[in-house]
Amino acid sequence: MSKIVPCTHCHLEFDESVMIKEPEKPELNFCCNGCQGVYHLLKDDGLDSFYDKLGNNKLAKPLAIGDDSSNFDMESFVSRYIKKTEEGFNRVDLIIEGIHCAACIWLNEKVLNEMPGIVEVNINFTNNKAKIIWDEDIIKLSQIIDKIRSIGYNAYPYNRTDSEIQATKNKKDFFLRMSIAIFASMNIMMIDVAKYSGYFTGIDPEMLRMIHMAEFIFASPVLFYSGWIFFRGAYYGLKNKIINMDFLVSAGATLTYIYSLYVLFGGAGDSYFDSVAMIITFVLVGKYLEVLGKKSAVDTMDKIKSQIPLEATIIVEDGKKVVSLDEINIDDIIEVKTGEKACVDGIVTSGYSSFDESSISGESLPLSKKIGDKIFSGTINTEAVIRYKATKNYANSTLNHIVELLEDSLNSKPKIEDTTQSMSKYFSIMILSLALATFTGWYFYEGTFEKSLIVGISVIIIACPCALALATPIASLIGISWLTKEGLLFKEAKFIETFAKIDAIVFDKTGTLTTGKLSVKAIPLSLTKDELNMLYSLSDSSTHPVSVAIKQYLETSFENLKHLELDNIEQIPAFGIQAFYNDNVIYGGRLDNNIEYTTTIYHFTVNDKLLATFELEDHLRDDALETIQYFKNQNIKTVLCSGDNEKTVSKIAEEVGVDHHLAKMSPIAKADYIRSLRDSGQKVVMVGDGINDSLALSRADISIAMGNGADIAIAISDIVILNDQLSGITKSYYISKRTFKFIKQNLMISLIYNIVTIPIAMAGFIIPLVAALSMSLSSLLVVGNSLRINNKK
Amino acid sequence: MNSILWIELVVGIIVSFTLLGIFIWGAKQGQFDDSKKMMNGLLNDSTEDLQAAVKKDEKVKELKANKREKLKNS
Repeated sequence: MSKIVPCTHCHLEFDESVMIKEPEKPELNFCCNGCQGVYHLLKDDGLDSFYDKLGNNKLAKPLAIGDDSSNFDMESFVSRYIKKTEEGFNRVDLIIEGIHCAACIWLNEKVLNEMPGIVEVNINFTNNKAKIIWDEDIIKLSQIIDKIRSIGYNAYPYNRTDSEIQATKNKKDFFLRMSIAIFASMNIMMIDVAKYSGYFTGIDPEMLRMIHMAEFIFASPVLFYSGWIFFRGAYYGLKNKIINMDFLVSAGATLTYIYSLYVLFGGAGDSYFDSVAMIITFVLVGKYLEVLGKKSAVDTMDKIKSQIPLEATIIVEDGKKVVSLDEINIDDIIEVKTGEKACVDGIVTSGYSSFDESSISGESLPLSKKIGDKIFSGTINTEAVIRYKATKNYANSTLNHIVELLEDSLNSKPKIEDTTQSMSKYFSIMILSLALATFTGWYFYEGTFEKSLIVGISVIIIACPCALALATPIASLIGISWLTKEGLLFKEAKFIETFAKIDAIVFDKTGTLTTGKLSVKAIPLSLTKDELNMLYSLSDSSTHPVSVAIKQYLETSFENLKHLELDNIEQIPAFGIQAFYNDNVIYGGRLDNNIEYTTTIYHFTVNDKLLATFELEDHLRDDALETIQYFKNQNIKTVLCSGDNEKTVSKIAEEVGVDHHLAKMSPIAKADYIRSLRDSGQKVVMVGDGINDSLALSRADISIAMGNGADIAIAISDIVILNDQLSGITKSYYISKRTFKFIKQNLMISLIYNIVTIPIAMAGFIIPLVAALSMSLSSLLVVGNSLRINNKK
Repeated sequence: MNSILWIELVVGIIVSFTLLGIFIWGAKQGQFDDSKKMMNGLLNDSTEDLQAAVKKDEKVKELKANKREKLKNS
């Protein structure tokens, strides 16, 4: 009976029979040599407390990096990425790959800090960016990189841009302002709970003054420090002749504050310092979320840019020369080794290999490349050394084009028009005019300044944008928390509104509508035990997705498979793998290259005799059909958009029944398609999972990434389906639509409230205390209504 | 009675604003820049980690002194 056990290093779980064991310590289980190596390295260095800190978290397998780290010491690298500190040390900014939990951060910082010559290491857990300062006389950067790699992580350099420095500064500033506002509001709330519950009834006036004094002390920093940005916003708005939401917030809060001061130091009545603090705090929290969004966009761009190769090897008359990307000219011959990325577009001139084009086309399997075939920048050479002629320089190449477009769309991500924002513009002008008219009218009618001021202020307090400002955020908050409980992560609340209004939904194929994992169609096999073992050993010698799928199929279908010692294992680029076993030539892979299959075919031959043919296919997700049907029932246009060939795409499209399908779509073509839909006035949702979808994702009104997709796709998308189920998309749509319905109801409630109460206040029938109470009542109505959102689940 | 409450109020406000001041100082030092790391700060709170931090401080001091010396001589 097989048993599932966790790997001692990475904690990923596997069948005990496939684990690497150590005879002297049978309690240790390792899933691969990488994990075993890192475990012993940490143990030898006395860093095994890493595993206590790791707890039950799981790590990815250690990254196996073949790159030579010496290019980190090259002149071109130093001039581009290394800066000098004031004290004369070197500083580099890196993005660390492979970080999963706080223990990973601890380990990297600890290991690096123990190296001689390291002055400072600071790794940010939120964005995985690291700042390293070191003494170049004692240690080289390549040694630091080697150390990071030795414990199973990898590092890429990136350049800190002005936009990142600005975004970090902004985030810190808003964080402080918001923290102070929340701190003060919470203190005021404590007093308020008692006040509004009636515990202060009949209180000694001196005591009441003391309580108001405490509220005054807490509300003042909120208005003048935290609320400073609203005054600034209002000032710039007025300078450009616009009365904005900032103006309404700052005018409402300031007038309420002034009136409360008047009550506190002389006048009779009740003070409203609580309203001052609440208005500022609520709106400020919303603004902080916006700032966070901007910061994460900058971090995402840095992550993408760090993946661009630094240099390329070009062939010159007297050999090879390493040049920076900007120095590559059209017609230069470029050499790409196995595992390297092509940095500009071109045409193969010599060699034979296959390229992983998943970042460009989304094609899940590497594509063969022979002389005359096109190479796209950003694709990875997976098999053998190849040479190609550049047809474009770096500035015009596909990779740079994608990066530039992405940068543009991240910076100018369309902001949906906020209903409250657009309403408040007219609302604030109206309220201020009405208050002024009331004050003037009463002054001429009654002749007393105090009475006129109180009635005027009552109008402002009663019309205070509290209910209006709360209408959207409180409903969104309840909607968002419901969504989060269901494993549906909305990065910003405003996406609820956009999602509720969509007209078209575009799906990617691989990894979105299908599982993205190849599996063998079950077929009867008539192989002898020896032949089975040969096939098993052959498939185990390659990490190609097809070989991995064959190996997994054999492991689950047969027992007691034996690992044979194969000789002369050789990858035949773009076809398969060949090896020798006891003078037998065994081969696994494709036999011909000209047929366009809807599935992937794998042939197994021994001494050129075909013994077995396997058909591998990607499967539709269980809930794909249901999801498409749901959106069709809602009268939303469904589209399948994929980089795969026409045959495969139309087969899937037919199976799920989408309205429209598009095949052989490059990332740019996908993005253009999304734009054309939006230009025709439709609100578009894009669902994807790969790097190749990121451009289209950034162009859509709403972008959704599946939880196990590429990091970049997740970083760019607005909604992440954590449980990786397509039903999450239908659930998100249902909740968004329901929440949006309640937002509209809330806005209606606050509007009706204002229409009814403002005329009464203007007529002088409402004193500020009643105004404040009725204002609270309208807020309560809005909150109560919002609570109904998740009543009917 | 009232005078005691006044004193309590003043003390309460002083204490809370002092705490707020400490928080602002921490935020300005960059302690809350990385929200995820901050939440996991407890992990780096063992005696072993404190000793490592002290050792690291000594090493950095020495490195800085050596660098200054070298820059002066050159």
